[in-house]
Amino acid sequence: MELIWIVFASAAAVAITGLATAWAQGRIGPALAASLAEKPELATTAIIMVAIPETMVILGFVVAVMILLRGAG
Amino acid sequence: MIIEMARVRIAGPRALLDPALRLLQDLGDLHLITPDAPDRRGAPGEGPSPRLLKHARRMLDDLDHVLAALPAGAAAGAPAPARPLSLPPMARRLRGWRRELDGFARMRAELLEEQALLLQYRTFFEAFDPLLRRPPRWPDARASFVLLRAGAAASLGELERKLQAAAGSQVELHARQLPSGETAVLLLAAGSAAAPVETLLAAARLDELPAPRSLGEPDLLRAMPALRARMDEIETRLRANEARRVEIAGQARPELDVLQLQLHDLLLLAEAEAQVRIGELLFVVEGWMPGPAVAPLRARMARELGPDLVVSTVSTEPWTRGDAPVALANPRLFRPFELVTRAFPLPRYGSIDPTPFVAIFFPMFFGLMMGDVGYGVLLALAAGIVRRRSRPGGNARAAAEMALGCALFAIAFGVLFGEFFGTLGAAFGMRPLAFDRENALAPFLIFTIALGAVHIVLGLVLAIIGAWRQGERRKAAGRGLTIAMIVLTALALLAAFEVLPSRFFTPAAIAVLIAFPVLIALEGIIAVIELMSAFGHILSYARIMALGTASLMLAMIANRMVGALGSAVVGMAFALLFHLVNFAIGLFSPTIHALRLHYVEFFGEFYSPGGATYRPLAHWRAASRAASA
Repeated sequence: MELIWIVFASAAAVAITGLATAWAQGRIGPALAASLAEKPELATTAIIMVAIPETMVILGFVVAVMILLRGAG
Repeated sequence: MIIEMARVRIAGPRALLDPALRLLQDLGDLHLITPDAPDRRGAPGEGPSPRLLKHARRMLDDLDHVLAALPAGAAAGAPAPARPLSLPPMARRLRGWRRELDGFARMRAELLEEQALLLQYRTFFEAFDPLLRRPPRWPDARASFVLLRAGAAASLGELERKLQAAAGSQVELHARQLPSGETAVLLLAAGSAAAPVETLLAAARLDELPAPRSLGEPDLLRAMPALRARMDEIETRLRANEARRVEIAGQARPELDVLQLQLHDLLLLAEAEAQVRIGELLFVVEGWMPGPAVAPLRARMARELGPDLVVSTVSTEPWTRGDAPVALANPRLFRPFELVTRAFPLPRYGSIDPTPFVAIFFPMFFGLMMGDVGYGVLLALAAGIVRRRSRPGGNARAAAEMALGCALFAIAFGVLFGEFFGTLGAAFGMRPLAFDRENALAPFLIFTIALGAVHIVLGLVLAIIGAWRQGERRKAAGRGLTIAMIVLTALALLAAFEVLPSRFFTPAAIAVLIAFPVLIALEGIIAVIELMSAFGHILSYARIMALGTASLMLAMIANRMVGALGSAVVGMAFALLFHLVNFAIGLFSPTIHALRLHYVEFFGEFYSPGGATYRPLAHWRAASRAASA
């Protein structure tokens, strides 16, 4: 039973942060696409802006790995 | 790194202004600024006159027009003239070439338009050529051409019956299927039968194809030879037109190239002259130039213009001048990575150029994420091809060289992790030398966060150097204390997890608690937020582990497809496809995240943008080369 909760918690850590990242990028992406149409020189800023929310899912992944490792140990 | 600039002032008698500016243009080192001195120039005497400049601008307009109208790549027939060219005769010749080339362009456009119209008749010529070449059956024969749309050929039989009924044997109908699916119909009628045929066609709502008006012959049958002759004539005139343009290009291009340089140089000199301050007897020029170039400038000025010119160095505090222009100079190995730095606004003068650090850490992060010998070799091959085909000094060449560095790191880390297209290397006896990324998740995570700590601490060290150069001692001390707190926190954590002896924990924790209020005293409450953000930035480097592991997992899935899909051939095909997809992701994702780790985490600690670009007075070709680099 405990194993199920470990796996569930690990999956939730990735899933929730993944959804949050998707939501944030879904809002940022169109706004940046519109900005780039008028100011192509903002391309570097655009890349950074789109990449920023990915921190959430990456940290979610790290947390998931830690949950699995601690659960296994 | 940023070149240290010296602020230089050149003063001398008014008579030497023009030769002095020309010499400065030849040297191409001095970035001019307007001196803080009154300007008392009276009647125009120095430099090019406004009238001459107006003519020069008009000539440049003519010249650009002529160059655009000449065929590209035409070989130069005449030798290059010696500079300088006399401008008035060149202005007249330019006008003449412009008029002639404009006339050619108009004529060419008209001929091409007419040719396109006549070509519409080509399908008819080809369909009925044998019929039209033989003598007509009736001396007064009249031809009618009709085009039936695709699918309407079935109505031909009906049309033929009606024609027989109206004109009997005085009319012939010939039909040919065209490649477009349409049907071309030629009706040949004796003069007496022309009227009933016309009436019949009108009743059937079939429009005749008219003869081109330019031939002056409404009957297409008689117009045909003229039409053929006209098409040949158009072809001949187009060839003659092109030959004359090539001839003009051969004669004019060497002169035009020299004139282009001469006119641009003249305008650059005029711009420079506007920044000179002139008194009744003397002139003063001021600007920035690389420190080591001052002595050669002084020597050359003295040698060529005599001892009356005084070259003096004004600035004494080199790194604190915010208005000094910024020029980057990095070793050849690091120079391609200026592409990453230049995507940002230039660093402020006196701050740090991060290019050498980017050149080390960017490919390292990329290599850690990709970490595969197979993918690394593929990337190296692709980068080698792009490098070979790209222009030296261009962005594509720089990107290819950056990719080569990334590929080398990917191969090196691939060897350390024992990865060749994922776990495929194990089949050939390849073993991890450092750790196995598939199973050693925790060590990989700790390694990447430790790497992040090193990178962020390096950023803080650069912030100390920048603040020190700018004379901001308090800020420098604050950054130093932040480094100390990061190191102490790391020690306390290592001691808490018994990586280090546990006796280190208490002293490290106490030192952090003491340093905290000192940091607030030095930099204010904002220092707390900055400290927290520094810890956040360090944790952000965990993405290297996350992306690296994801890349390995995708490669492993690709390898397992070979045995999982029944047929080995189908499995191999899917595996190759999956590896290709993983390689594409492996190019894009690590690049984006390595860039982000630099732009957000690393640059965020020290980077100070806002530097003015170094644009020295130089000859036009050198200036435009530097601007495009």
